[in-house]
Amino acid sequence: MKRLTWLAPLLAVALAVALAQPAASQQKVVKIGDLGSKVGVFEGYGKYQSMGIQLAVEEINGKGGVLGHRIEVIAEDDDTKPAPAIRKAEKLILQDGVKLLIGAVSSGSTMAIMDVTKKHKTIHWNSVSCAEFMRTTKFHKYYFSNQPDSRQQATGLAKYILDKMGKKVYIFYTDYAMGQSDGRQFKTALEKLGGEVVGVAGAPLDTKDFSPWFGAINQSSPDVLFLAFAGTDSLRLMTQLHSFGMTKKYKLAGIDCFLLQQDLPAIAEPMEGFVQLNHFSAYNPDPNMQAFNQKFKKKFGVDANIAAGAYDAVYFWKAAVEKAGSFDPDKVSAAHEGLCIDKTHIGRQCIRKEDHQVVMDMHLYRVEKGKNLPIARDRRQGRDRRGHGGPGSAEGLHLGDQEEELAARWTISSRSCCRSSCTASSSGPRWGCWPWA
Amino acid sequence: MSRVSSWRGALVLAALVALPALPFMSKFYLLLAFDALLFGAIAMSLDLLIGYTGLVSFGHAAFFGLGAYSTAILLERGVVSLWACLGFAVLVVGLYALLVSYFATARRGIYFALLTLVFAEVVYTFFRYTQTFGGSDGIQGVPPAQLVPGVAIDTPLANYYAVIVYLALAYALCRVLVTSHFGKVLVAIRENEDRARFLGYNVQRYKMAVCMISALLTGVGGALYPGRSAFATPDLMLWTVSGEFIIMVMIGGLGTLGGPIIGGAFFVLLQEQVSSYVDWYFMVIGLVLVFIVLFMPRGLLGFRRMLGFGQWRATA
Repeated sequence: MKRLTWLAPLLAVALAVALAQPAASQQKVVKIGDLGSKVGVFEGYGKYQSMGIQLAVEEINGKGGVLGHRIEVIAEDDDTKPAPAIRKAEKLILQDGVKLLIGAVSSGSTMAIMDVTKKHKTIHWNSVSCAEFMRTTKFHKYYFSNQPDSRQQATGLAKYILDKMGKKVYIFYTDYAMGQSDGRQFKTALEKLGGEVVGVAGAPLDTKDFSPWFGAINQSSPDVLFLAFAGTDSLRLMTQLHSFGMTKKYKLAGIDCFLLQQDLPAIAEPMEGFVQLNHFSAYNPDPNMQAFNQKFKKKFGVDANIAAGAYDAVYFWKAAVEKAGSFDPDKVSAAHEGLCIDKTHIGRQCIRKEDHQVVMDMHLYRVEKGKNLPIARDRRQGRDRRGHGGPGSAEGLHLGDQEEELAARWTISSRSCCRSSCTASSSGPRWGCWPWA
Repeated sequence: MSRVSSWRGALVLAALVALPALPFMSKFYLLLAFDALLFGAIAMSLDLLIGYTGLVSFGHAAFFGLGAYSTAILLERGVVSLWACLGFAVLVVGLYALLVSYFATARRGIYFALLTLVFAEVVYTFFRYTQTFGGSDGIQGVPPAQLVPGVAIDTPLANYYAVIVYLALAYALCRVLVTSHFGKVLVAIRENEDRARFLGYNVQRYKMAVCMISALLTGVGGALYPGRSAFATPDLMLWTVSGEFIIMVMIGGLGTLGGPIIGGAFFVLLQEQVSSYVDWYFMVIGLVLVFIVLFMPRGLLGFRRMLGFGQWRATA
């Protein structure tokens, strides 16, 4: 028992060292938290999220900040896992006192930290994760998102696939919240429009070898492969599909965050012809998009991508804070509802009151020679987005004559209409909550 | 235990109980202290196996995760009694530990480690692929457990005190255990298993017993986790978590009980602080571990020599 004498001082020293924090010297500073994957399978998304935030914060600080406060960003890595994500979210909210938390990247982490932001009443913006649970069963009043969720992506893409690519589709997804959600919603949307799902399979997150699933895909002989993966999973999957000759054999489509534009040139050949629906491409000649991209490129030396949507999240929060005239989470939350901002990269964006989801236009893109090129026009505004010219015009837009314009306006009018049939929630058990239920 | 050492134990306990009264102890630090002490207690229960019996378990994360899932599954389905959750966790972890310890203790050394690892991977894979339990997202957003109907353990402070009670009881149990005849036999098995057998001890039965005790203590620790984090995910059972538990024991000092508590707390606090500054915090933790193994081979609380260097005795 002698050793016990060491316990108290050692524990005290360990705690004291760990807890020692530099005293805050700056006055009138408001902190915001940037939580996401900085390393690992979703590293790219987390880094671009940080860049988007940084760009917005520098612009806002340059113009006097928010309500006279200079914004300070505190970034944390969540290790792409729920347990560290929760601990980091608690640190950001309880210790650093952030008034806005942006994150996370992985849907699993985002869902986990939603409990934290709800409990501690903190405005929470999600700009990357797309599982629909965050907008339905886990939704709370402090949560907002400008990342199109699974349902919104599925609706537009399913129609295009049926019209232009084929009726028989095989759905292959990454087996966690995001992939399950994307796969399920795409299946629903496709079948509603008369398409046929010839097979469905899920591979775990961070799978190294996808070939065990290829036999089943080939046996079901689909016209189209719908792929719901992201990050380094997508890179490995495409390389392996290509080496099995399957990227030539089937037409390819997938979710918006399948691969970031920066990754495309490296696997241009396997990705050739891959179709997706999303809200940003550096190769879209639209003036707004090019203006944003130029700004981003000037600052960081690289093109922006969809993960940079966090830029708009900061501006939405700023507008809401200024409208509310305070940082009080209840007032800021209420001020967000129905708020619109203009001249973003995708034009006007508005926050839907019912589920705090940002409504914006989306476009169809197809990968050609490592570039995400637009294949659709926005009918609503009657503007041709396929045109040439404009600042930083995308060189070599090769659009097939057969392509028709397709307005990918989101069709969801309210949250209540779109609750998932799956019963997974914080209030009910998961019995029967299967990916395809 | 001598009267003096009991007083010292009580002093440490009193210091921990009084900790929340310190002015800088915000809610976040209470939650951090919860993690530090919880993983400290788990490292201590693993020390019974590694430090005292000489059995390196690479599957303790499964006991921890199963405890966490047991609680989360009940909480999600509306059973919010803390006692029901703990009872269920003991039952589930106990049955699993019985199976693991029966097969694993039949083998020595590396084979024991491998068998515990294999069993743990099976459990991890089961939960990762079973959508009934949320698949790889796990069970999230569970309500807090209730001590008695109407009294929920829902604040960081309440959770902190819950973990203090658990730590104190677990420490008392382990201390009694290692100072008892049973503990002496464990050390004898570690020092010379054949000799212990020749002396007439049923070695496997002793090994199984200590495995079960260690597993159940870890499982109860796991059962407290969802109360603080509101979730249980398969990541909690990953083999790397088992590795972290072993690192905690090594940092603290093998065969000391108090050492691994400090090792666990040190590991959690180091991880928390370093990861806020750099993305590659595991490198820092790795360097710390290398430093400790090279220069402090008996751990932060190293009164005894490292396992395998002969001569050393773990029990006081």
